[in-house]
Amino acid sequence: MKALPGDPVLNLIGERASPETIENIRKEIGADKGLAAQYMGYLGLLLRGNLGRSYYTNRDVLTDITLKFPNTLGLALAAMFIAVPAGILLGFMAAKRRGFIDKLIDTITISGLSVPVFWSAIIIMLIFSLKLRLFPPSGTGDIRFLILPAFVLSIPALASLARVTKTVIKDILTLPYIATAKAKGLSSLRVDIIHVFKNAIIPIVTIIGLDFGSYLNGAVVTETIFGWDGIGRFTMEGIIKRDYPVIMGCIIAGTVIFVIINLITDVIYHYLDPRIRLHGEEK
Amino acid sequence: MNSLIGDAFRTLIPAVLLVIALSCSSSSRLEGHIYYRLNVNPSTLDPALITDVSGASIAAKLFNGLVKLNGDLEVIPDIAERWEVAKDGLKYRFFIRRGVTFHNGRKVNAMDFKFSFERVLNPKTRSPNTWVFDRVQGAKKFIEGKDREVSGFKIINDYAFEIILDRPFSPFLNMLTMTAAYVVPKEEVEREGYDFPSEPVGSGPFILKSWLPNRELLLKVNDRYFDRKPLIRGIVYRIIPEDLTAITEFELGNIDVIYLPASAYSTFKNDKSWSRNLISFKGLNTYYLGMNTSRPPFDNINLRRAISLAIDREKILRTLYEGRGRLAAGPVPDLLRKWEIKETLGYNPKEAKEIIKREGASGLKINMHVTADQEVVDLAEVVQSFLSEAGMNVNIKQLEWSAYKESINKGEPDMFWLSWWADYPDAENFLFPLFHSSNFGAAGNRTRYSNREVDLLIERGQHSINERERNSYYKRAEELIIRDTPWVFFWHRTDYLVRQPWIKDYTMYPIYTIDKGTEVGIKKGADH
Repeated sequence: MKALPGDPVLNLIGERASPETIENIRKEIGADKGLAAQYMGYLGLLLRGNLGRSYYTNRDVLTDITLKFPNTLGLALAAMFIAVPAGILLGFMAAKRRGFIDKLIDTITISGLSVPVFWSAIIIMLIFSLKLRLFPPSGTGDIRFLILPAFVLSIPALASLARVTKTVIKDILTLPYIATAKAKGLSSLRVDIIHVFKNAIIPIVTIIGLDFGSYLNGAVVTETIFGWDGIGRFTMEGIIKRDYPVIMGCIIAGTVIFVIINLITDVIYHYLDPRIRLHGEEK
Repeated sequence: MNSLIGDAFRTLIPAVLLVIALSCSSSSRLEGHIYYRLNVNPSTLDPALITDVSGASIAAKLFNGLVKLNGDLEVIPDIAERWEVAKDGLKYRFFIRRGVTFHNGRKVNAMDFKFSFERVLNPKTRSPNTWVFDRVQGAKKFIEGKDREVSGFKIINDYAFEIILDRPFSPFLNMLTMTAAYVVPKEEVEREGYDFPSEPVGSGPFILKSWLPNRELLLKVNDRYFDRKPLIRGIVYRIIPEDLTAITEFELGNIDVIYLPASAYSTFKNDKSWSRNLISFKGLNTYYLGMNTSRPPFDNINLRRAISLAIDREKILRTLYEGRGRLAAGPVPDLLRKWEIKETLGYNPKEAKEIIKREGASGLKINMHVTADQEVVDLAEVVQSFLSEAGMNVNIKQLEWSAYKESINKGEPDMFWLSWWADYPDAENFLFPLFHSSNFGAAGNRTRYSNREVDLLIERGQHSINERERNSYYKRAEELIIRDTPWVFFWHRTDYLVRQPWIKDYTMYPIYTIDKGTEVGIKKGADH
């Protein structure tokens, strides 16, 4: 990060400052020390549970992260709330139906994966906010503000989930135990839920975990366009201004969140598929 | 499967309807409040630290200084009801109004000004604005820690405050209108510590009620304000980073006044219902193409002049910029220039080509650095094509703002695109920081232009207390700078805002601190 061109002090001083002032600010924020000394100082802060203060706002980074995280969590949950059922349903339908429906769903998922978020965000805002006046175009707050960004954010996750679900289920449908289940005279719905879906769930949970983990680290474009006050925008502004304490804080918080989500996913695997063991039990 | 889908739809439809019903509920605007848009979160509202436009325009509504500017860019009383300047131009004595109170109820006195100004100079404050006061007697010693107070800030009594300068300095009174010269209450600064920049206490017509970073700021009227009281109950600043989103909010009536981004200008101008509500204002700024005069190829004055001759600025302004500006004759904005400039370099591609050939610079490769802003990149490409016609190869390098600033401060590119905006309305603000040889790099002179005669003329202007004499120095300095052409002088930008029909008496001023929010009003019975 420090190897990147750009100097936080130059951003702090505006357009006009004397060399003495620049040196003084560099000293006051500790940027005059060597890299090793700066790193040790930061580790010392971390050990005390402190992420430091922003160079610009002087605000405590940890406080800001805890203020913004609930917004990011809300947006991620809402996006997944839309993406998971819809994605799985679409994938299921595409796997089971050949012909027109399959092709239609394929078209939807491929566009969902390839259309950039900034484009879909703007189009959706123009339609639902400006023309239909159903939702506010921007802001952070209750569910009214959440719908549009959550919908936009859910599109790529929905598309990738649908594709994975379709591929997995198509494979499962060719397996002998499905034929057996059908031959036993089970109803189609029972076969779908107990035999097909249950066996397809592991890769689906993996995709959900990955998407959810990345959404929890912020969705910069969606947050920026809809003015949503989340971790993504906070991190991005930190990077643009070279606000090192903010960048470090966000990266550390993001890493912790990612590890936790991965852990939860692993635990869920065990409950979904008892063959996956939590402990290194007997062989 | 079908029943599964059917069930899903049966649950989803009522849920969607509920959400739509919720969202169509009445707008959540606060009555009597004006809604503005900011594109970025202000970094700080501590007047000692502010360097950005959004911070300065909000701080102007929360704080006061000794003096302020009016719409005609004249210095008028603020907390000081009058002042006297000694004949030698060294002593400024300010007489402070009685009964001015901070938002916490305490009366403002001379001690507060001494504290606030010394605070700007104190290294612990980390203020980038020390230059505002560094010409005050004893300031340097105080900064270096040799003195415990600044001898040039003198308390005569509770309601009289004196500032003594090292040497006469003509722009000083103008500089006292800047945010760095606002008064802050010592007890609140000390009590709040790190939180003062986000929970500031001043004496202005508005009080900061809440600030949700990256979301919005809410200002409420200060009922005890000593001067003209606002006509509105409060101001809401909504932070909306994306231009298109902000325009959508404006069209929905959720924002009252909005600065028009270039991409939206022609749409609003050509729309009959909006064009009536367009407000234009001439900015105190100069946009320029800077050339690094400290090394080849642009240490050669002839080549610099050739570059200026090769670019049809008038055409670029008319077409690419849709006429949003006034062509610049020199670095000093038309609104601040009190003299006439006779000789300017026009567009003469033939002559440019000849000079470039004569100087042996045909086919020469030049590095041009620009920010990654699309408007700037478009312009850079036009400049590139003009210069290629004249026989020079321009290599454009886009950098994001932090990296760009570092590169131009270090003097890395041969050529760069930048603008300078007035801190205070004085021609000196467009000469000293930008062309004096003591200000290379971050202090403003990024072309590393050095001319002993220009240095002397600017210094004489600064120290002269006679206005006519001062203007004659500045005129001569500007003429020399135009002759030496360290910049291609492009234009002074004119900006546009659009307001809602229910907003009355909104004026945009060329200096952001002039608007204290006390003039704008909302028409009665306005339905929005």
